[in-house]
Amino acid sequence: MFEHDFLAPFPEIFLINATIILLIYEVVLSTSKKYDYPPLVRNVSWLGLLSVVRLGGRVWENEEPYRYLITILLLAANAPLTVANLFYNNLIINNFTYFCQIFLLLNTASTIVMCLDYFKEESLNAFESIVLILLFTRSMLLMISAYDLIAMYLAIELQSLCFYVIPALKRDFEFSTEAGLKYFILGAFSSGILLFGCSMIYGFIGVTNFEELAKIFIGYKITLFGAQSSGIFMGILFIAVGFLFKITTVPFHMWALDVYEGSPTLVTTFFSIAPKISILANMVRVFIYSFYDPTWQQLFFFCSIASMILGALAAMAQNKVKRLLAYSSIGHVGYLFIGFSCGTIEGIQSLLIGVFIYVLMTINVFAIVLALRQNCFKYIADLGALAKTNPILTITLSITMFSYAGIPPLAGFCSKFYLFFVALGCGAYLLALIGVVTIFISCFYYIRFVKIMYFDTPKTWILYKPMDREKSLLLAITLFFITFFFLYPSPFFLITHQMALSLCL
Amino acid sequence: MEFAPICVYLVISLLLSLILIGVSFLFASSSSLAYPEKLSAYECGFDPLDDARSRFDIRFYLVSILFIIFDLEVTFLFPWAVSLNKIGLFGFWSMIVFLLILTIGFIYEWKKGALDWE
Repeated sequence: MFEHDFLAPFPEIFLINATIILLIYEVVLSTSKKYDYPPLVRNVSWLGLLSVVRLGGRVWENEEPYRYLITILLLAANAPLTVANLFYNNLIINNFTYFCQIFLLLNTASTIVMCLDYFKEESLNAFESIVLILLFTRSMLLMISAYDLIAMYLAIELQSLCFYVIPALKRDFEFSTEAGLKYFILGAFSSGILLFGCSMIYGFIGVTNFEELAKIFIGYKITLFGAQSSGIFMGILFIAVGFLFKITTVPFHMWALDVYEGSPTLVTTFFSIAPKISILANMVRVFIYSFYDPTWQQLFFFCSIASMILGALAAMAQNKVKRLLAYSSIGHVGYLFIGFSCGTIEGIQSLLIGVFIYVLMTINVFAIVLALRQNCFKYIADLGALAKTNPILTITLSITMFSYAGIPPLAGFCSKFYLFFVALGCGAYLLALIGVVTIFISCFYYIRFVKIMYFDTPKTWILYKPMDREKSLLLAITLFFITFFFLYPSPFFLITHQMALSLCL
Repeated sequence: MEFAPICVYLVISLLLSLILIGVSFLFASSSSLAYPEKLSAYECGFDPLDDARSRFDIRFYLVSILFIIFDLEVTFLFPWAVSLNKIGLFGFWSMIVFLLILTIGFIYEWKKGALDWE
């Protein structure tokens, strides 16, 4: 009965075991008098991330096997099963989930890498944050392979619970507490709406499995006033609203700004990157596989248009970096929704490519923000005359900002081009038109970064300390991808095409 | 005859409530040893008739959260215990895994000092 049900999610099982062992290790060690309560954050984050072997003679106190990279390697190399339905059809593993999970693990690994220095600087002794991050990674792996409304909801709740805690990490900083409280309330509210939708679907249909829902909805028009059940419409509407809350699209974006701004920069990094991947993957599965219907297109069109417009217009008035990045991520989700709302295979493919490039750019930007936060890099004007103090960082940030703005040879342009191409191909002319207009508008504040760096002189000259090795490596890798993506994009196109195809089969 | 368990249930609950009230009538302190502090209701050290919006120690909240978690664990244990002959060895080990994960949480909480009321 369960021959391969424990073999296939082996990476996830490994991750959860590693998390548990790590938690016990750190709680026992850090409260033991014998070792004089060592702050264990760096240890734990390295253990959580990768092993530090003797690189050129440097020896760390604790050498333990690779953890995170093992998970990635297990997924990538081993992959005992490539297509499987597990646990009574609760989980599924196919090409889509496979590549999404690898992508997600790579991103979380790079985000943890970015935050190693952060812990040392802020002397945050909260090793629990790493455990929480590992837990929520596992929940996102589960969410990507969820094939049932119940499994999906469980994974979303696990992810949300792990996330509710970490914005409030800085206990003496009231913005942080405010962010945590707002995120908790909004997250609980949106999960409640989502669950309500799921229960209505179950009440009106009687099945919760995505595959069976897909079979039921073939050729079934879901309208509000049609002869068929309007309860299903309400149920799916609630599910959609719950998801839209979590992904910060426009009518439901209010919480994101305060949460992104108030939480510690590390946590903002996580918020911008990881939930978007997993929740978008889940949404694709739910709305394009199970509930495929043109009725939702209108809702997603509206959300996409509104997100793009708001992301472009409202970011112009911002003075603070994190709020501006929050608005830009809202705008980007609007662009990604263009691909999502078209509902074609190219649409899904463009969504996946857009997510990939968006994540790369966001990792880049947040690595720079984290590197520059020594002297409280809160306002954009703090960037003034960076070109004179740190020219290479300036070039990095300029290229990333140009990529965000969609300037031609960079990766951001490629992703946006493909998204608009798909929108035109499916007949959503208004979407493409508004998209292009908002790109022009948003160019302003992206290029304003560049202008401030090169041409402004700040009131007080700010000297930044050099960043550590890990962040510079990460910046180099992502910058390389962003700059040279257009030369050889076909591997990604092929991978995303295969992912989109395997979703629709 | 099918309602016999309900009758038993009714009798036991009636008896229990009567015992709870009756014993305090029988053994409560009478005149000589009673002073206002001793006679007042117990509310974890708070003044029972005071304004409800006073400051309180956050440990009360912690205790209630921990209670919820472990109480729900016990609630899951009940149907498992009743149906253990049907779910066999596999069901047994599934529950053990669940208990193990909760025990890990318990160890964490113990070591962090959430149980020290000090």
